[in-house]
Order: sequence, then C-alpha cells, then structure tokens
Amino acid sequence: MANKKMKSSHRQKLGLSGSFIMVLLILWAVIILYPLFWMIMSSFKSYDEIYSNVWSLPGQWLISNYATAWEKGISSYFVNSVIVTAATIAGVVIIASLCAYGLSRYKSRGIDIALMLCTAGMMVNPQVCLIPLYVLLQKLGIHNTRLGLILPYITFRLPLSVLLIRSYFLSIPKEIEESAIIDGCSELGIYSRIYMPMSKPIIFTTIMLTAYYAWNEFLFAIIFIDSDKLKTIPSGLMNFRDALQTNWGVLLAGMVISAIPMIILLIALQKHLVRGMSEGALKG
Amino acid sequence: MKRLIILALCLVMVVTVAACGTSSNQQASKPAESDGQKVEIKFFHRWPNEPRNTFFKEAVAEFEAQHPNVKINMDCVLNDSYKEKIRVLVSNEDLPDIFSSWSDSFAENIVSSGKVKPLDELFAQDKEWSSNILESQLGAFTFDGKLYGVPLTIDGKAFAYNTKIFKDNNIEPPKTFEEFVQILDKLKKAGYETPIIEGLSDAWAISHYIGTINQRLIDPQILEKDYNPKTGEFTDPSYVTALKAFKTLTDYMGEVATAIDHETARNMFANGEVPIIYMQFAEIKYVEDAGMKDFAFFDFPPFENGKGDPHALTGAPEGFMLSKNAPKEAEEFLKFLTSKEMAFKFTKDCGQLNAIKGAVTSENASDKSLAAYDVILNATRTVPWFDNAVNINIADAFMRGCQSMVIGEMTPEDVIKSVQQEAAKLRNSAK
Amino acid sequence: MKQLKKQITPYLFMLPCFILLFVFIFLPLIQNFIYSLYDFAAFSPTKTFVGLANFKALLKDKVVVTGLTNNVRYAIISVICQVFGGLILAAILEDKLFRRIAPFFRVVYFMPVVISISVICLLFSFIYHPQIGLLNNFLKLIGLGHLAKPWLGLSKTAPYAVIAVSQWQSIGYIMMLFIVAIQKIPQELYEAAEIDGASKIRRFFSITVPQVKETIFVTTLITITGSMLVFNEPYILTKGGGPGTSSITLAVHMYLSGFFKDKMGYASTIAIVIFVITALLAVIQFKLFGGGEED
Repeated sequence: MANKKMKSSHRQKLGLSGSFIMVLLILWAVIILYPLFWMIMSSFKSYDEIYSNVWSLPGQWLISNYATAWEKGISSYFVNSVIVTAATIAGVVIIASLCAYGLSRYKSRGIDIALMLCTAGMMVNPQVCLIPLYVLLQKLGIHNTRLGLILPYITFRLPLSVLLIRSYFLSIPKEIEESAIIDGCSELGIYSRIYMPMSKPIIFTTIMLTAYYAWNEFLFAIIFIDSDKLKTIPSGLMNFRDALQTNWGVLLAGMVISAIPMIILLIALQKHLVRGMSEGALKG
Repeated sequence: MKRLIILALCLVMVVTVAACGTSSNQQASKPAESDGQKVEIKFFHRWPNEPRNTFFKEAVAEFEAQHPNVKINMDCVLNDSYKEKIRVLVSNEDLPDIFSSWSDSFAENIVSSGKVKPLDELFAQDKEWSSNILESQLGAFTFDGKLYGVPLTIDGKAFAYNTKIFKDNNIEPPKTFEEFVQILDKLKKAGYETPIIEGLSDAWAISHYIGTINQRLIDPQILEKDYNPKTGEFTDPSYVTALKAFKTLTDYMGEVATAIDHETARNMFANGEVPIIYMQFAEIKYVEDAGMKDFAFFDFPPFENGKGDPHALTGAPEGFMLSKNAPKEAEEFLKFLTSKEMAFKFTKDCGQLNAIKGAVTSENASDKSLAAYDVILNATRTVPWFDNAVNINIADAFMRGCQSMVIGEMTPEDVIKSVQQEAAKLRNSAK
Repeated sequence: MKQLKKQITPYLFMLPCFILLFVFIFLPLIQNFIYSLYDFAAFSPTKTFVGLANFKALLKDKVVVTGLTNNVRYAIISVICQVFGGLILAAILEDKLFRRIAPFFRVVYFMPVVISISVICLLFSFIYHPQIGLLNNFLKLIGLGHLAKPWLGLSKTAPYAVIAVSQWQSIGYIMMLFIVAIQKIPQELYEAAEIDGASKIRRFFSITVPQVKETIFVTTLITITGSMLVFNEPYILTKGGGPGTSSITLAVHMYLSGFFKDKMGYASTIAIVIFVITALLAVIQFKLFGGGEED
C-alpha cells in the first residue's frame, strides 16, 4: 500500500535523457519482437509463400498449418513434455535450494571445494555424455522411460541453479537467521520457513529457467527415448523435417504452439518479481 | 504455507516417478523372445516426417495383422539425429533388429562392428523374393564378398534444367563439360546473374559434385587406389584439375551460394529464378509440388580429357540391414518391406524410385520419375555418394576445403594438400 | 555430538545434489578421461589404446585454434553484451521512471530465452539471407546497402553473425537475473543518495554495482562458461562451423570428430580440453571475486 502512495506522489516527467532511453528500450523491443512476429506470420503461410514472400503478410492464412502441427507433432507428445518438465522443475527447485542452503550458510575449506565441484558440473558438454549416459541408463533400467530423461535434466540444471540460488541466499540478512535460531528453529526449519519464502524471486526465476530447458531439450530426448508414446515435443516437431525438405509453415506453427505454454508461464511468474517482498520480511 | 508447497512438489515427484515406473514396464523393449509368446521387434528408420512415416506405420500395421504373434516397436528420428543415434546404439550392443541405412561406407562402418547379420543365406533360400531385387544395387551393400543389406530406394543425381529458359535462349543440353561452361556464360550474358546455384553451406552437396567430377575426370584405377584408406595418397595432379573444374562452376553461383543451404537453392530453381541445378531424382517430387513443370535432366557431361566412364551415374541405393541377433520375424519383415507390393506402394505414396523389379510403372510414378528410372537402369554403373565412397576424414577435408576454396581462402592446391595429410594419417593407422 | 552434527549438516543438505552430479555428470566425465586415451569409432568392436597420442594430435590441430579463437570471441562479446548490457537494462527497468512499464519490457526481452534454439536459428537464417533477408533489406532501406553481405557465407562475418544470435537470445536472461538482484537493494540507500544530490549515473556506480557484485560474478561465470561450451548456434546456423571451419567452436569440433568423423577418442580429448580451460577460467574468476560474500 505504502508503495502505491509513493508512486503517485513521485510521478516524474521523462525528460530528455529519459525519452532517449525510452526510445532505445522500444528499439530493442522491436528488434526482439519483429523476428517473433515474422515467425508467427510465416506459420500461417504455405511452403512456397515462405520462400517467395518472405517478409509480407500471408496471402492466405493457412490455419490448417496449426491443425496439422497439433495433430501430427504435438498432441501426443504434449503430456510427456508436461510431465517431464514439471518433474524436472520440482527436482531442481528442491535439490538445488537444499544444496544452495548448505553452501551459503557456512564457510570452510570443504564448502569452498564443494562449491567449485558443483560449478564444475556446468562445464561438461552434454554431447560427450551421450554414450556413457546411454550405457548408464541401460544399466539402471531407466532407458526409454521418462525418468531416464528427468534425472539427467535435473542434474544438468543443478550447477546453474545452485549458483543462482546460493548468491541470492547470501544476501539474506544475518539478523533474521539469528532471531530464528534464538527461537529454536532447526536448520531445516530455517531453510523452509525463512530462506525459501524470502527467495521467491530467485525460485521463480529458477522455475522459469528450468522450464524452458526441459521443455525445449532435444539431444537427450531423441537419443534416450525410443517409443513414440513417450516422446516429448521436440521429438514430435521433427516429424516436419526431412533431409531434403522441411515443411516450414507447419514446423513454425508447431514451434509457436510449443512456445505458448512457456510464454504463459513467463507472464505468470514474472508477476512475482515485484519489489518489496524482501522489505516486508525485514520490517516484520 | 511454504511447507504445503514443498509437500506438493514432493507429491508431484512421487506421482511422476510412479507414472514413469508403470510406463517403463509397459514400454521397455525387451529382446525378442521366440517361445510362442509375442515376439517384439525393434524397427528404426530415419523418416519421422510425412509421407514416409505414415507409410511405415501402415506397413507395420499390415505386417502385424498378417503375423499376430509379432509386435513391432518403431522408432524414427531425423537424418542428423539418426546418424547420432545409430552410433550410440551400435556402440552399445543395442542395434535395432531392423534399421534403415545408407549404402557403401556408411553401411560398411556399421558392418565393421560385427553386429550386422549377413544376408547371403536368406537370399539363397528365398529366390522368389531375392530375384526381384535389382542386382545393380546390391553391390553397394556388399562388403568382403558378403551381402549385408537390402536396398529399397534407388537414386541418381543429374543436372536439372529449366526447359523453357533453355528454349528461349536457344540452348541445348551440353555434350561436354567445356560446352557446359559456355552455356553458363551464355546464360549469364542473357541476364541470369547466377545461371547455376547450389547451397554450399551443406557440405554434402559439395561432396556430390566432387564425387562426380573425380569419377568423370580421373583414371578409375587411380581412384580405386586412392579411395582405399590403406593405400590412398591423392598425389595425382588431376585431383587439382578436378577442384579447379568445381571452382569454375561455383564462380557462376554467386556470393550467395556459401550462405544458403541446398533446399533454398532448389527453391530458387523451382520458382524459375535459376535455370540449372545439380539435383537428385528423389527431389523431382518437391520441384513438381512447387508447381514447376518445365524441367528435364541432362547427366553430368564428360570432360574432353576425362578418363572416367562418361555413362556412370552418381547415385546410391538406401535400404535396410538386420542386427546379428535379429529373430526370424525381423527377416520376414525385411522381405515384406522389400516385396513388390510394398515397394510399389512406397513409390506411389512417397515418390522415390524403388529397387524392386517391376515395381515402378506409370501407375505410381510421374513421367519425369519414369524417365529418371530409365536413366538409372541404363547407367553403366552407379557411383556412390562421395562421402560414402571414401573415409569420412578424406571427404571432410574435401568438403571443408572446397568451402574455403570458394570464398577464396584456400587454393585448390591447398585443399589437396590437406587431403593428402589426412590420407597419410589413414595409411599410418591402417598398418 | 552436537559439534559433529553441526559440521556435517551442510553436507547433508548438499548430498542429493552431489549424488546426482556424480552419477550423471562426473561419471561420464571420468569416462571421457578414459576414452581420450583410446582411438575408436562408435561402431568399432574394440578400442585401441593410444596413450597420449590424441593429446599430441590436438596440439597440432589447426581447427582447435580456430575453435578456441571463436570461443574467446564468444566469451568477450557475451560478457560485454550480456553482463554489462544486461545490468544496464536491468538498472533502467528498475528505475522509478520506467517501473510501471517495466513488466512489459521484462516479458518481451525475456521471450527469446524460452523459445527453442532451433526456431531461433531458423529465424536468423532467414534474417541473414543474402537476398531476401531482413538484415540486408533493412540496410538497403536506410541507405547502407553497400554494407549488405552474405553474412553466414563469408569467413570474416560468419562467426560474428553466429555470436550475435546468442546475444539476441540471452541478453534478456542475464537482465532478468540482475533485476532479481537489484530488487533486493534496500530503497533507503538510493533515497539517501538522492537527498545527497547524487545523479542517477552516480547512484548506479556507487550503489547498484557494488550491491550486485555477487550477481555480476555469477553471471560472468555463467556467460563465460556458456561461451566455452557453445554448440547449438554454430552447429545449426552454419551447418557445423562453415564456411570451411571459420565459425567452428570447440564443442562443434568435438561433436563432429566423434559423431561425424568417427574419432570418438579424439572427441573425448577435445571435451577434456574444453573442461580444463573452462574450469581454469572459473578458478580465476573465483579467486578474483573472493567466492562472493555479503558486504
């Protein structure tokens, strides 16, 4: 409430430098939006029109592209993508935040080494892990299962997520912790009742970053899954490609459909990046 | 509140794991058990797209209907991912029972793993089926005297040209390479900035050119020696001449060429912008679908001083191979896929010519495709795609080198030098 | 007993994470160390032990030099565009002036991040198209037609064209991370500075930047690591590092060696080199930033 009052009484004029910056902001927004707009426009075009009329509006709006894309490329794979993505998000959020908690609360040689080890996990290319991981999944009996995708996905996102959450945890004031300890809170309690609630912005960011990774990942999705029933959307979108020709219109339609859940998630999550959340806790 | 959220997340995980657990029991593809129970066969191919995906799905359904004790698990991924996955599978004792494969060195590599079943016995046992397969296409799947694969599709590559533009400019298809260059000049003067085009960012498109030029220009005995990794040297000066010939052609392709891919190039041909393109017969359907009707083919013209057979056709079959432990039912499925009826249906549905005698007629192929079919049948021999004719490291040196050569960063001599270095490495490791 | 419990508690928190890391990342990494001592292809029935021969070959490999050069170009440009650019964008959007429309820009700038890299590469292959591409047509429109080039077809421009695509996609990503960090900065600090008469730019340098030091460290680390490992953009946009090998990166070279040229041992060798270089760079960054601490 107090914030709103502050805003209206401080309504400022943009001024010259402000307007200039505004122009730059809009310019960058156009540079981002125009290619995306092109993608949507082209998804309604026929194959020939994409090549002959690259930048104009579609002569004929082929909604059939979307129908075909949905039917042949997405519908059967949608549920799999949702399950794999949701499980990956859950896994990353829980495991990474626990690890980040351990890494941020204490300082010692051991912790430093652990941090560097964790970061080292970011430095391995997934391509070279294909054969070893394939053997591993076979041995664990989870090859060609959703779990066989989920576990590697979670693992490959852990280093980044741990780093991000840890850096956020580091900035939580010590006073809050200390008062909780005095109140007799256990470690797990401090983690779950103080750190996590105060870290909503980074948690939501982690959710977003993990979501787009799991949703769009195609290297493991293609190699580790054989059955059509278990394939995720990136595999499905391959159905419109061929060595010598790609059905661009339908493929783009499929990609637009595939991007929509992510964009909805983005809009929903970014609402939570509101200033003042941490301030509330401090004052209270 | 937070506890609730954490609890909820844990619940999601548990449910998911449970869901995965049950589905994995249903989906785990076990090795085939031939004991009266359902025999499961793994079938892997490289066409997740239409129309072939539906064709194979229907083939699977029909076969399963005819053989109720068989279940076929079909997996398909695209081209590049296919090359990736087949390598992961073959390195892991997990080669699918029946899988699609290119011919020549690609197939040879997989065979070298020792995990592919030789098919000579099968061929001898079922003469009714095997005698229907075009003999000329079997050599591409024969290694060390044994047959390892059965071709389904055949292909060839020649110059597609816009018949209307040729007619309007009083041009006849060239009889020699030198005439060809003159035609390109004439077209350029007539206003076609790029009388011929290719997507040079696709390295394989370059390899197709190199293969044909080498074959036409260079003594076949030299080629045989050099294409063998154990003896290859590439010291003959005609290799440089061949590259220079390629450069001559690319000079007419414009600056655009290295920035586009083959598909884009073909579209420039299909919309009438460019009069000539080196194209596979398999692409006829795409050009026809784009609405272009006035085109025909002329084969890669021979060189005036060329030592190679001018009537050989670059092109290769593609087919299927079986893994060593594939059950009898997989063999049946292989025969089913390459039977006359299925091959006929294949060409009808998918457009590409097949390797089964009598399965290509005017009822399932367009006029241009039929003409192409004749060209393939009448060729004195088929020449494999270059990247399947030599060790891939040699091909790569040629392909990358040519890209650099086209943009002026390497001379033909430089490129051959890098090829010779690769050849030396191969000879050394073969000892 | 309580002392022991206190000591091992942090490690208990880290346990699930490290179990997963060990099984799915470190085990394959160790496998790669072993593979690099052999020469084999995916379909080889046996592996041939060659000791350090792969490493010796790597030292003579000119493509590795090109790849590494491109990776370094990637890293430098990415840090400039994404870390500095992202920080400035975040500071602007968090400024009182723009806060009301910030949500709109936040979503827009972040959108490229959530879109699959295959789509983005497809988009840009059309944008960079020499004749019908947006970039060249735009240049012609504003009278700079003489600058129009076949961007992906020339060895001088191809690497930068590829790098530009990554910046387009990822500036919003890093910007978002900075927004989260900037929001934690107590408003009082800014208000006090404003009362003292400090300009916006002054406030940015004396308050914002020091307060987000930890995030600058993390984002620089992520960006540089990402630049060393980058695979998708060069592989898809230029079909594997073309023309020739001008836009190749180490990861693409590694992949092509293993899955295209069938030298799996050599591919593992390159992977090890990528890992070592990236780890060294990370250690340097850790030392420089002191591992991050709250002021």
